[in-house]
Amino acid sequence: MADLNETILGLLSELRRGTIVIGVLSQLSEPRYGYSLVPLLEEKGVAVDPGTLYPLLRRLEKQGLLESRWDTNESRPRKYYLLSPFGKEVYAGLYQEWRKLVASMEGILTDFGGGV
Amino acid sequence: MEVIDRYIYAVTQRLPEQQREDIQRELLSLIEDMLEERISTGQASKEDVESVLLELGPPNQLAAKYRGYERYLIGPMLIDAYLTTLKIVLTSIVIGLTAVFMIDTFLSHSGKLDPVTSYLASLVTGAAQGFAWVTVVFAWMEYRQRINNAGNSSRNKAWKPSDLPLIPDAKMKIKRIRPILSIFFPIVVMVICLYLTDLLGIWRYRDGVLTSVPFLDNDVFRRYWPLLWIVAALSITKQIVRIIVRYRSSKLLAFYIVMTMITTMLVCIMLADKTLWNPHFIQDLTTSSLMSAEGNNFKTLVSNWPRVKEWLVNAIVVLTLLDIIRESRAWYRAKSSPSPITKQKPLV
Repeated sequence: MADLNETILGLLSELRRGTIVIGVLSQLSEPRYGYSLVPLLEEKGVAVDPGTLYPLLRRLEKQGLLESRWDTNESRPRKYYLLSPFGKEVYAGLYQEWRKLVASMEGILTDFGGGV
Repeated sequence: MEVIDRYIYAVTQRLPEQQREDIQRELLSLIEDMLEERISTGQASKEDVESVLLELGPPNQLAAKYRGYERYLIGPMLIDAYLTTLKIVLTSIVIGLTAVFMIDTFLSHSGKLDPVTSYLASLVTGAAQGFAWVTVVFAWMEYRQRINNAGNSSRNKAWKPSDLPLIPDAKMKIKRIRPILSIFFPIVVMVICLYLTDLLGIWRYRDGVLTSVPFLDNDVFRRYWPLLWIVAALSITKQIVRIIVRYRSSKLLAFYIVMTMITTMLVCIMLADKTLWNPHFIQDLTTSSLMSAEGNNFKTLVSNWPRVKEWLVNAIVVLTLLDIIRESRAWYRAKSSPSPITKQKPLV
């Protein structure tokens, strides 16, 4: 049998993958550059490594959820991302769905959970 | 820092051209941000840079995340069939070349300085050829498959359960040994043809000396090598498809027949070339005193020699037709025989 911790970690990273998208969208109602999101999400308990975050930002931009622009005024040029109007709608929809999901999971886990 | 540039280069090289510049700039600013976090003042040390790059992970994995898909030459769908075929082809080549080596040594005919070295060299080149052909064929199949899949996903909306392919019948299964042997024999024969061209002829052992009169004109035959390689590649492709599909079907049969006809035609075109044959065959026979110029045997040979080529071509055509008929009959019989329902396992 596979290692217990390894199995848990594997399943957990699958669970996290989707939540990162919502987490990122929630923070981008104002323009932010990629790396500034890492500590922001981390202090709220959502750890994401830059090697995952940066490709994700590009993917969301390609899907039309984010807009981006380069800011070259500062000492270091940085690419800022912001929710697009379409992205805002998507995020609002996702937010509702997420609330429902949390509620139903909560229901399932209080009824049957803990009784292992 | 040179190592940063090298890292970014390693990532962007694996990405589409038009995205490279933007990702390069973004990665550079990311790495600088990450470095800044580690050191408040002064220059970043080599260790700092390395720990940042280690955190970002191997460049190929980061590039894969940017691309969003993995790249394969031969993907998971085909890899098993690829390895099977590779094993068969390489084994056949090694066996063929070993046979050539043994015949060569036994006859001590070629006069090569070092037969073992030339044997090893031919093993390397032969294996490389086989490897390359098999890989090219499979890479092409993988490519076709990807194009098909892309086409299917855009038409996905029209999908209906009735489109599902039928579960292949066990009796339609092609015995695995068949394609394996059909790869094995042509390769061994071809290796012998390629390496021992001048041994294909009439042999005579007299007073401790071996003399031979070859059938083919070696120089002309050499020009046909590329064609022979194509024939080999096509016939191997034919068998590879059978190994992958594994079940008889009308489509597979049609493919088999077309491929068989193309390869047969190419071989016949080659054999029909008059210059391919040793022009001095009859003369050589008499001068090497393999056969006396008198006697009935000689006369029959002289009168029949020009027709031997025709016979050979005819024989090949007949054998090909027999092969096609046998395959068609095997398909037809499998198709029309009642399905052995009792053989099916119960679901529970």
